[in-house]
Amino acid sequence: MDWGRVQFFFSEVWRNFTRNLIMQFTAIGTVTVTIVLLGAFLFTRATIGTIGDDVLKKIEISVFLRDNVAAAEAQKVAADISADPRVRSVVYVPKSEGLRQMRERLRGQIDTSLLTTNPLPDALRVQVVDPNDVIAVATSIRRESGVASVEYAADAVQKLLRISDVLGRIGLGIVGLLVFTAAIIISNTIRLTVFARRREIAIMQLVGASSSYVRLPFIFEGLLDGVLGSALALALLEVARYQLLPKLTLALPFLPMRAAGNDQLAFGLELLGTGAAVGIVASWVSVGRYLRV
Amino acid sequence: MISLRGVSLVYPNGTRALDSIDLEIAKGSFVFLVGHSGTGKSSLLRLLYREQRPTRGEVTVDETRVDTLRRSKVALLRRNVGVVFQDFKLLSDKTVWENVAFALQVTGARTKDVMRQVPRVLDLVGLSHKSRMFPSELSGGEQQRTAIARALVNNPKILLCDEPTGNLDPANTNDVMDLLHRINLKGTTVLIATHNALVVDRMRRRVIRLEDGKIVADEERGYYLSNPGQIESALSSPQIA
Repeated sequence: MDWGRVQFFFSEVWRNFTRNLIMQFTAIGTVTVTIVLLGAFLFTRATIGTIGDDVLKKIEISVFLRDNVAAAEAQKVAADISADPRVRSVVYVPKSEGLRQMRERLRGQIDTSLLTTNPLPDALRVQVVDPNDVIAVATSIRRESGVASVEYAADAVQKLLRISDVLGRIGLGIVGLLVFTAAIIISNTIRLTVFARRREIAIMQLVGASSSYVRLPFIFEGLLDGVLGSALALALLEVARYQLLPKLTLALPFLPMRAAGNDQLAFGLELLGTGAAVGIVASWVSVGRYLRV
Repeated sequence: MISLRGVSLVYPNGTRALDSIDLEIAKGSFVFLVGHSGTGKSSLLRLLYREQRPTRGEVTVDETRVDTLRRSKVALLRRNVGVVFQDFKLLSDKTVWENVAFALQVTGARTKDVMRQVPRVLDLVGLSHKSRMFPSELSGGEQQRTAIARALVNNPKILLCDEPTGNLDPANTNDVMDLLHRINLKGTTVLIATHNALVVDRMRRRVIRLEDGKIVADEERGYYLSNPGQIESALSSPQIA
């Protein structure tokens, strides 16, 4: 390793970097904002995903049987349903048990002692493996003999799926837009450096510097903008995790918040890598456009 | 060493800079390229270090076809061809040493070679004692000598000079021409584009004269001016347009 060469290269990078510091700070700041928002977006999506999963897992299909169905026949229907691989569990709830559960639920609210007969039908409570299959499974159960009606929170399921999908798309769109902005600003910063150094570049080319040698310090400058920006963003996200998240959890105890969990290191590296990639791509494009070598 | 065959150069605006040039320059020679401003001297030099490609014809430098040379190979060509300009093209924020070393460093030279080559060329151009100075602290002649040192530090076989004395007074002009002469004696082929009659006539070397992009005279030990009577006036006013 020739340290003199390494030193010369980094002195060139440093010279570029410090030539217009205000632009560099702008570029770094934009990367920071982008990566912070990307991190916040990923966190929010993970949280919404968790909430959604929890709710969806609780959604069950209520199957009400006809009055004249005997217990043995009801068991057969239950067995048929559980044979479907999409079904996680089937619980048989006879009408007496249903009434007991209802009394339990409504205790203190309605005086159920006034009921002289049991108005409830025998029922099956069906849970599916994948919430997306609720509708299809419900439709196939409806065809079973002895089934009077099938109920499930169809609207709720569909809305929840749609909302989480739309939120994901909007978030991704915003992050994409921010990444694009950051790339444009880095690209402009590099362009200014290229312009400020056009004399040196002309001399480098004149004395026979290879085009990769001329380009490399500029690419490195973009990389530096990206890495510094995302490192700053990671620091801010860490602060938020330790300062903000506990307060948020206290304020909203019912929300199951997850801060990247065990994959923290991978998550951090991903964000850092995103910043670095934005920097390299932006400077690559800029050098290609403004440096005719 | 340098060969042009049927070379023409027409700029996009329609200006015909060079017109069917045929030219051979032998290894180790010292050649002047003279003519009025705008006759194609600089254009011809630019073809040799591939700053420009000819519209037609073949350009060969040190057995390399320069006109068809791939972009990626241009850098290698330029390490073999040193170029010096009228306006020196030094970097004002670098010292004499740094300006010269720059030419080696950007070609990826090893530090060991930089430390060996830079003092050698600074000694050759007589600027060892001013290596820590910045271009603004030097005279015009010293700045040109720095530029020559930079052009030579890669040990090129050919040195191209585009009006090297254009910005210099007579004393500095003589210094620079003596230096170029000494460089030539060490084996480097030197090609100088100039319209300084005094310089050309004092050196008495091969002179190629261009007019409107064509070679109109090519003489060994030639004079800049064909009419000897004009030499006297040339001596009293060295810059003849």
